Amino acid sequence: MPANASTKNPPEERLVNLVVALVATEQGLTKDTILSSVSGYREQSGAGASKDALEKMFERDKESLRRLGVPIETIGDWADPDDLREARYRIPTAEYELPEDIVFTSAELALLNLAGGVWSESSMSADARSGLRKIRALGMDVDEPIIGYSPRISLREPSFAPLQQAIEQTRVVRFDYLKPGEAAPRTRRVRPLALVEYEGRWHVYGFDLDVAADRTFLLLRIVDDVTITRDTFDAALREGAGERAMAGLEDVAARNRALLEVNPGTEAALRLSRRALPADQGILVPFVDIHIFADELASYGPEVRVVEPAALRDQVIQRLEATRALHGGNA
Amino acid sequence: MIARKPLIATDRAALMLQLVPYLIGKGEVSIAEAADEFDVTPDQMRAMVETLTVIGLPGDGGYWQMANDLFDIDWDLLDERDIVVITNSVGLERAPKLTAREAAALLTGLQLARAIPGVGDTELFSGLLAKLARGASSTPADVILAPEPVDAVRDSVAAALQRRVAVSFTYKAPDAEPTTRTVDPVKVLIATGQWYLQGWCHMRKAMRTFHLDRVSDLELTDIAIEHGEDPVPGWFESGTGDIVARIRFPDSVAPLLGEYLDRAAVATADGVSIATMHVADEQSLRRLVARRAGAVEILEPESARRAAAAWAESGLVQYR
Repeated sequence: MPANASTKNPPEERLVNLVVALVATEQGLTKDTILSSVSGYREQSGAGASKDALEKMFERDKESLRRLGVPIETIGDWADPDDLREARYRIPTAEYELPEDIVFTSAELALLNLAGGVWSESSMSADARSGLRKIRALGMDVDEPIIGYSPRISLREPSFAPLQQAIEQTRVVRFDYLKPGEAAPRTRRVRPLALVEYEGRWHVYGFDLDVAADRTFLLLRIVDDVTITRDTFDAALREGAGERAMAGLEDVAARNRALLEVNPGTEAALRLSRRALPADQGILVPFVDIHIFADELASYGPEVRVVEPAALRDQVIQRLEATRALHGGNA
Repeated sequence: MIARKPLIATDRAALMLQLVPYLIGKGEVSIAEAADEFDVTPDQMRAMVETLTVIGLPGDGGYWQMANDLFDIDWDLLDERDIVVITNSVGLERAPKLTAREAAALLTGLQLARAIPGVGDTELFSGLLAKLARGASSTPADVILAPEPVDAVRDSVAAALQRRVAVSFTYKAPDAEPTTRTVDPVKVLIATGQWYLQGWCHMRKAMRTFHLDRVSDLELTDIAIEHGEDPVPGWFESGTGDIVARIRFPDSVAPLLGEYLDRAAVATADGVSIATMHVADEQSLRRLVARRAGAVEILEPESARRAAAAWAESGLVQYR
């Protein structure tokens, strides 16, 4: 029974007890009340732990819970909002719980189950499952699951998770970015605003602080770790960022068009014609990144010939020459 | 299979906060079913449920809590039948809001689901987007997928799946002559904008996977499917061929090789990696090395090395 509980309760017990206590209070609890009455702190108070140590523990617990999305409200002193000695803490139910009027139909739930299953082997998979669990706990059931489809999003880039976190927290990031054709990576400082998958590759869209303009970066070209700095930016910049990023990529694709000749019936014809616009001679294929498109075209070997632009043709020739040289052909 | 990683205290607290509304919603649930729902072992679930019974409201005078200030369960049902029933609850009855990350993971998944013909109309999707946005504790990061155009082939495959009839089509495998196939559709795999149809091939009398970009002249037949319940092959059956190949590349290139390396044995020394893998045909290797020109080299088999050089040469001839 609780009276006999050890003075060293597992921390998750203390965290959940704290949530129960702060949800139950209307006017809020002071730190002193929490430390002397909430199970987990109370026992350690009784066992003679220093007030300083307990207060630090409380601060850490608050941070942990906020990271879980638990909204802990601090009600300060009216006269002096910076004075937290008499501050009261509470968790407003309306902020904590899924709103009462949110209900999901059976068809919506079936769709969410499908949507939640798309993330393979990434932290997004655990997030999706956890989100689904909360929604399923509202008590609705799926009559007819959607079968016959297995959609997957692949997410191999280690930079994705820190970038997503930085967007949520509106913090400036720093990373080393290697542009093809440049000898060494260059450090970029960016306000990250959105993550976009375009043609199967992940991009981060944001405001590049060094060039003072919006830029889109390929996650594949971020070398080394992404550093989340302490500098924050205005959350309003995030509004509509996904659409702006997408529009930007589509703009680039509309401006860059390659005129190609493809041999009918080949792999190249199959892969390229899906994206192509008809031209008088050959096909016109939009692209967003000359280096990545040149990589693809080189893989088709003799199945495709680049007519223009010249820069793309040169890139493809360069790759074919390098391949031939590396495999013992005439250099 | 979901990997069961060790949980840290904060993760366990998050699960406990979800456990109460789940148990209350269920009324009565077995340890096994609850463990499955929470991706934990039955022993972990039992420990979580037992922990719940020492959680409750702070005691009135600042000291010990009364029994009805704590969560309680039916201990007899748990001990005798492995069934969990909450008999006293002190809060947390409704599920917590979604975190920004949880909402983002579902919102992005919905964008992909939206590309599937017939699974939901615009109204259903926009309703869901609004509910998820309102159900999130803070604004999720924009994680956007570029929309993929749905073409006639994809539409027809969706229709065949729904009507449970076989389809016939011309299939053009890479570096092979086109063949005509009749297939009982079983499942559609969707990855990075590509659609793959898995189904029972009447010609091969076995389950096969077809890349829909390689499919043309697709028509629905009136043959009812017979092999819809057969087991389908795993996600990607790459790396199962008979030919043993070895490729060499700078370690930094590895992320660009992605799924090629999933089933390869890779040895790295001084920043240079050598991967040994099984491939079904040599032709795909020459395409791989030309794509990663100058960075990836075929070491074996020798015939694939020569094929890569010849592939590049015949490409270059076009520009002379």
